[in-house]
Amino acid sequence: METILSVVKLSKSFGRIRAVNQLSFEVGKGQVFGILGPNGSGKTTTLSMLLDLIPPQNGEFSWFGQPPSKESRKRIGSVIESPNFFPYLDAVTNLKIVADIKDKPYDDIDEVLELAGLYERRFSKFRTFSFGMRQRLAIASALLGKPEVMILDEPTNGLDPQGIAQIRDIIAMVASRGTTILLASHLLDEVQKICNYVLVLRKGIMLFSGNVSEVLAISDSIEMASADMPGLKTAVKEIAGYTSTIETNGLIQVHFDRNINTSEINSFLYSKGVVLSHLSEKKRSLEQHFLELLQDTP
Amino acid sequence: MIKMLRIEFKKILTYRTFWILIGLYFTFLAAGILLAEFMINHMVNNINQRLPIPFPHVAIYYFPDVWQNVAFFASIRYVLIFPAIIMIILITNEFTYKTIRQNVINGMSKTEFLLSKLLIILLISLVMTVVLTAGSFFIGLFHSGFSEVNFFTKGLPFMAGFFVSLICYMVYAFFCGFMLRNTGLAIAIFTLYSLIIEPVLYFFLRAPFLFKNTIYTYLPVNTVIRLAEYPAIPMLKKMMGLELQSNVSFTACLIPVAYAVAMTGIVFWVMKKKDL
Repeated sequence: METILSVVKLSKSFGRIRAVNQLSFEVGKGQVFGILGPNGSGKTTTLSMLLDLIPPQNGEFSWFGQPPSKESRKRIGSVIESPNFFPYLDAVTNLKIVADIKDKPYDDIDEVLELAGLYERRFSKFRTFSFGMRQRLAIASALLGKPEVMILDEPTNGLDPQGIAQIRDIIAMVASRGTTILLASHLLDEVQKICNYVLVLRKGIMLFSGNVSEVLAISDSIEMASADMPGLKTAVKEIAGYTSTIETNGLIQVHFDRNINTSEINSFLYSKGVVLSHLSEKKRSLEQHFLELLQDTP
Repeated sequence: MIKMLRIEFKKILTYRTFWILIGLYFTFLAAGILLAEFMINHMVNNINQRLPIPFPHVAIYYFPDVWQNVAFFASIRYVLIFPAIIMIILITNEFTYKTIRQNVINGMSKTEFLLSKLLIILLISLVMTVVLTAGSFFIGLFHSGFSEVNFFTKGLPFMAGFFVSLICYMVYAFFCGFMLRNTGLAIAIFTLYSLIIEPVLYFFLRAPFLFKNTIYTYLPVNTVIRLAEYPAIPMLKKMMGLELQSNVSFTACLIPVAYAVAMTGIVFWVMKKKDL
């Protein structure tokens, strides 16, 4: 796979705070790459360095196999934090300025406005736009001139459910065209819905990176209870794939490192002479999973 | 370069604040000239009542004086402040709306961004100078008639001096706006300095009983507005014992230009260092 972005040991401190620490990763062509992390984990700092807004302290990165330059930035469409436009200019003029900077013709302006659902309002001043419309105009401007890569930093932050759905539809459409996407978000759910590859960031340090399906493939737990709790606790340890037990309110939560079904457990325990009074599969929410992932490392 | 100007044009052509300030500039300029003429003639009339041979009516619109007079009135503090405010707004807007960040993200280099602002300063100054020159020419022609048109070029360097004044003063404003990043604060500090602090400073530095050097001639705003030192009203000058300034001195131009170049250098240096 052709490498679009390659980052090597990128670091940046603000005073004593290490915002980004020795971060390395690669993004391949056509990948929908998610950077996942809580607020303050260094996502925006990382993206700001990749777009030459902040000079990195250490490390380096290259776009399209070349050192970063204004020319490489012209091939990238970006939405970083808030939408930044001139409030006193209308949507079309604002987009013309972007097209001028990127050396792109004005031909796609109508098309991207249509895509963002803003065509009817194209001659309205940016000032008059609602928050959702502003965010969609930012995405429209990022789409100008058919960029090879799109960078989105918290694209649905602060939007209502309808606005979120609109933005995600646009991203899905862009991804389906084969555009490489680099998305930063603190919402696991968002990353899971949109991305196929994820990097988990905490306090500027990469905790994990891999395919989204791989990240989510860790087993869930099974809840059990029995009149004979000590007997149950001894017996579960003999089940193949057993990893750990947590006891809570007269129940035990048992973890396995493989997919296991409840009838298998039931018949095994029965054969050991343990009769269950409670047995249920406990699916962890994605958020829970994310939090666990963050807590794993001290 | 054409591309940078095209971008800057889009930012100002439909910007109402820009046109209002340009309008205010010309309104204040016209008001200043008319008021000055009225006051001078009022004074002359008063004197004439006591004199056997009356002074003739004083007009300030004849060739070649018209150039010096327009250049003088167009570069007094209270008038020149408007283009400076325009420049402060144009640069601080980029920070307020974060469009400077967006421009860089979209593929403009930091250097290009600053160059495009300097270009627009140059262009605004050029257009305003041309407009004032054309205006003065027609006013001069209207008052002097064609008989004196052959020496209308005599005072033209005053318009060149005005061009230098305008560029330098707008660069000062650009510097102030860039450093402070906040529109209100930058306008307040710049106006306060230009209209109050520096005149007071000038007054004290010039006082012969306090200082014996000529440091007062190097105050930045002062050097800009004094390229055309006095209006060309010959009779008045003789009365007040002022020496006639026949031309804009080239060395006098160098001081504000040096300030402007230094400020531009600082802006480029800070831009390189700072995070956007």
